[in-house]
Amino acid sequence: MSFIHVQHLKKQFDGTAVIEDVSFELEKGMCVSLLGPNGAGKTTTLRMLSGLMKPTSGLITFEGKSNKEDIRSWIGYLPQYPVFHNWMSGREFLIYVARLARLSKKEAASRADQLLQKVGLHEAKNRRIGKYSGGMKQRLGIAQAMIHRPKLIMLDEPVSSLDPNGRREVLNLIEELKKETTILFSTHILSDAEEVSDRLLLLHNGILHHSGTIEELQATQAVNRIIIEFESHSEQYIEQLISLPEVLQVEPHGDALYVEVNKIKDARSAILQQAVEHHWPLTSFEIGRLSLEELFMKVVNE
Amino acid sequence: MQWMTLFQKETLENWRNFKWLWVPITFILVAALDPVTTHYLPVILEKSGELPEGAILDLPTPTPPEAFLLSFGQLNLLGVAVVLLMTMGIIAAERKSGVTELILVKPVSYTAYITAKWASTLVLIFFSLFLGLLTSWYYVNILYGDLAFSIMIGSFFLYSVWITFVLTISIFMNVFFKTPGLVGFLSVALIILINSLNGLVSRFIDGYPPQINAYIREYVINGSTSGDLWLTLIITLLLIGVLLISSVLIFRKKELAA
Amino acid sequence: MEQTFSEVISSIPWGIVAPLLVIQSILLIVALVDWFRIESTNGPKWVWLIIILFFNIPGPILYFLIGRRNDG
Repeated sequence: MSFIHVQHLKKQFDGTAVIEDVSFELEKGMCVSLLGPNGAGKTTTLRMLSGLMKPTSGLITFEGKSNKEDIRSWIGYLPQYPVFHNWMSGREFLIYVARLARLSKKEAASRADQLLQKVGLHEAKNRRIGKYSGGMKQRLGIAQAMIHRPKLIMLDEPVSSLDPNGRREVLNLIEELKKETTILFSTHILSDAEEVSDRLLLLHNGILHHSGTIEELQATQAVNRIIIEFESHSEQYIEQLISLPEVLQVEPHGDALYVEVNKIKDARSAILQQAVEHHWPLTSFEIGRLSLEELFMKVVNE
Repeated sequence: MQWMTLFQKETLENWRNFKWLWVPITFILVAALDPVTTHYLPVILEKSGELPEGAILDLPTPTPPEAFLLSFGQLNLLGVAVVLLMTMGIIAAERKSGVTELILVKPVSYTAYITAKWASTLVLIFFSLFLGLLTSWYYVNILYGDLAFSIMIGSFFLYSVWITFVLTISIFMNVFFKTPGLVGFLSVALIILINSLNGLVSRFIDGYPPQINAYIREYVINGSTSGDLWLTLIITLLLIGVLLISSVLIFRKKELAA
Repeated sequence: MEQTFSEVISSIPWGIVAPLLVIQSILLIVALVDWFRIESTNGPKWVWLIIILFFNIPGPILYFLIGRRNDG
């Protein structure tokens, strides 16, 4: 069931629209990635959802509450470049934000310790944040976003500024958090989106181009291509394939043939039948799908 | 309580960055230095032989109230400057660095955020001002003669109202701009403007905030004040309230990220 | 001249002025300790050391007001 509805969100800065028209819904327990190139309006969208920015127009409702009310208790937010009070220790900072989120003193301390453990900062908890590395700060940032058990946590480019080790740590952490809460995170890196999210919001130039699963996105952009690999001499089968009425075009790629077809279903049966009848030495038979990368480029350039 | 959490954070920060040490010390030095050096100046000039032979040194010795008032002269210059420069980034720097993006997405009351900063700074300033005036009073008694303790207490309360007004102007400027230097410059400029208009405005109306300084003078010298001290105090307190409430209202309307 | 200088020195009742000197040295020491511990200042760090050491009283105060970086 959707618990967050975003309707016709629009944001202008000095008359220029950064967000043109964004509408989507989020379901409980989902991990959704907000995917788009730099400058697409990802940060602006997240800031409007967090209440840090006010939309020029549009409505955000959160379990029936609109953005005219204070929805901050339900939301955890990690900005792209989180800045802390560097003079505090990691533990002090977590307790501080927990208290600001109206946890009791006892609760705040136990929740802080629990999260420090979870994000792997237990050893460094009494060190000044000023001495933390980039990856540690990002993990502390996730901990502070989680501190008041929000119903939605939003992470703005949580891994893009990290080295490979830090990325891995944070991605694993997000994988963990999926079990606890709804996550919306922005990224411009396709493989990250593919790895951890169930759903995609594809944003480009302030317009939402797609909202749904990766499979759904692929379905909308389906190309009808079958890739057949042979043990050897694939060229000799081209003519037979071309002669089938379902096949439009055949292109050799090494030992493989890329077969463009009208309808995947009909073509599949026809080709497989040929293969069985003539004992083709197949090594693989694959219904072609565009990679996320290709899909992304296609949608963005439309 | 959320307000106490914010207040305690500010106070802890002021401990960690040594404000609780250097601000009181600064106020003590600012308040005590003039009465002390003025007392020893004739001696030093005479003995150091920098006066031409035969010149008669005729510096009138200040009375105890006059000596005590020297402290206020310095406080109005250096004390006010310290308050304004010390607080020029109190909100602006947090917004500029981006730390507010973490703090204000939590369900934090904007009123609490601003008033807690205001109050914690005020406690520090009052404490420092009191120590400064106490030190000055002590030296005046030793070097110049008796000055009633109640005069010190009374003038401390009067000056507290003025310095609160100064601090509140700085908070108000902090809400508008994100660059601490600009906040500092504009607050200093505004206080100078307010002070320089004193003569003109006082001719027409009673109750203009900088008049407090004239009342302090009168009070220290005569032990009582003529004219409408209470009106000035009430108007200043009202202005402080208006500035503080406007700061909160303006802050609430601001885009907190940019 | 030397005579008069020492006269000047002796003419000041040090018992009375000493507390101010102590307070002023505390300010200087606190500024130095903080300067030592802090990672970076506004402007070159060594310049602030000179200001703290050679401009007595205003030096340390200016360091705390302007030189010290609060996020450091």
